[in-house]
Amino acid sequence: MNRSESMKIITEHLGNEIIVSANGFISRDLFSIKEKPSNFYMIGSMGLSSSIGLGIALKNPRKKIYVFDGDGNILMNFGSLVTIGSIKPKNLIHIIFDNSSHESTGGQPTSTNTIQIEKVAKVLNYKIFKTNNKKRLIKIIHDTKNLLGPIMILVKITKSKQIGKRIDFTPIEIKKRFMESM
Amino acid sequence: MKEINQKKMYNFLSSKNVKNFVGVPDSTLKYFIAEGLKKKKILIATREEEAIGIAAGMSLSNSRSLVFMQNAGFANSLSTITSLVQLYKIPMIFLIGWRGYLPSDAPEHIKIGKVQPILLKTIGLPSRIVKDKNWKESCLWALKSSQTSSCALIVRRMSHE
Repeated sequence: MNRSESMKIITEHLGNEIIVSANGFISRDLFSIKEKPSNFYMIGSMGLSSSIGLGIALKNPRKKIYVFDGDGNILMNFGSLVTIGSIKPKNLIHIIFDNSSHESTGGQPTSTNTIQIEKVAKVLNYKIFKTNNKKRLIKIIHDTKNLLGPIMILVKITKSKQIGKRIDFTPIEIKKRFMESM
Repeated sequence: MKEINQKKMYNFLSSKNVKNFVGVPDSTLKYFIAEGLKKKKILIATREEEAIGIAAGMSLSNSRSLVFMQNAGFANSLSTITSLVQLYKIPMIFLIGWRGYLPSDAPEHIKIGKVQPILLKTIGLPSRIVKDKNWKESCLWALKSSQTSSCALIVRRMSHE
């Protein structure tokens, strides 16, 4: 299962939930697979999708907030796991597409093939789910819909040459649509 | 800046609908932060970029946000400010303690303190220096400037232990 295949599965089993997607190929994939105004596509500021998601989650306690993150991304802002774990937002679902590489910049390695970030997250008060399997992923998405967060879903994916199209909204348009959708 | 005026400043901004105070502590701003902590309104992040990310999420939820930090943390945050806050035009007030304003400050603050005004100017972040005498009008300026974009209030460090 690669990034876009797993993202298709996840978004097929979600409705119109708010999604904050990390910069690079993750946002491009989401834009190609399930474009909607309640997606906040990040362009730049690598690492911060979980922080933006936390801010939104705290201000919208009745809505589920999904963060589409990458392994390289979360490793750049690992302290975010500490802040999220200490605040324990009930409505935050943090999905990490983990291919143990910086795929958007040419596939350079990250350390998630030797370090298990879900073990760290578990100590930091996250509820952990991990899979590399399509059927199991569908079950996790449904099982976590009514579970109290913070939840981490680590999706182990394979590298792929497939790249989503570039987002053709301007950053200001992305923001406006997103804010209006809430 | 005096303790009393830092506290007044916190309460004034709070009364003007600034709902969120997120940041990394700085001794220059300690009375401002203490007042917010007393009211349980402060969220302390691990790094300044993280604080900006959280505040951005809150601003995107139509809730006014302020991010506090030291100027060393401001230097850490240049890329986040330009590629998130300014790129998406996210409303936000930065409150920045300026170490290295006095040439006699501790050595680690001297170089970055010297370029602080140049950094602000280079990235085009409008700013005002807040003093004991002008804190209220500086806050009013920041409240107005941050309605549709971002701006900074700078508190100079006038003494050091």
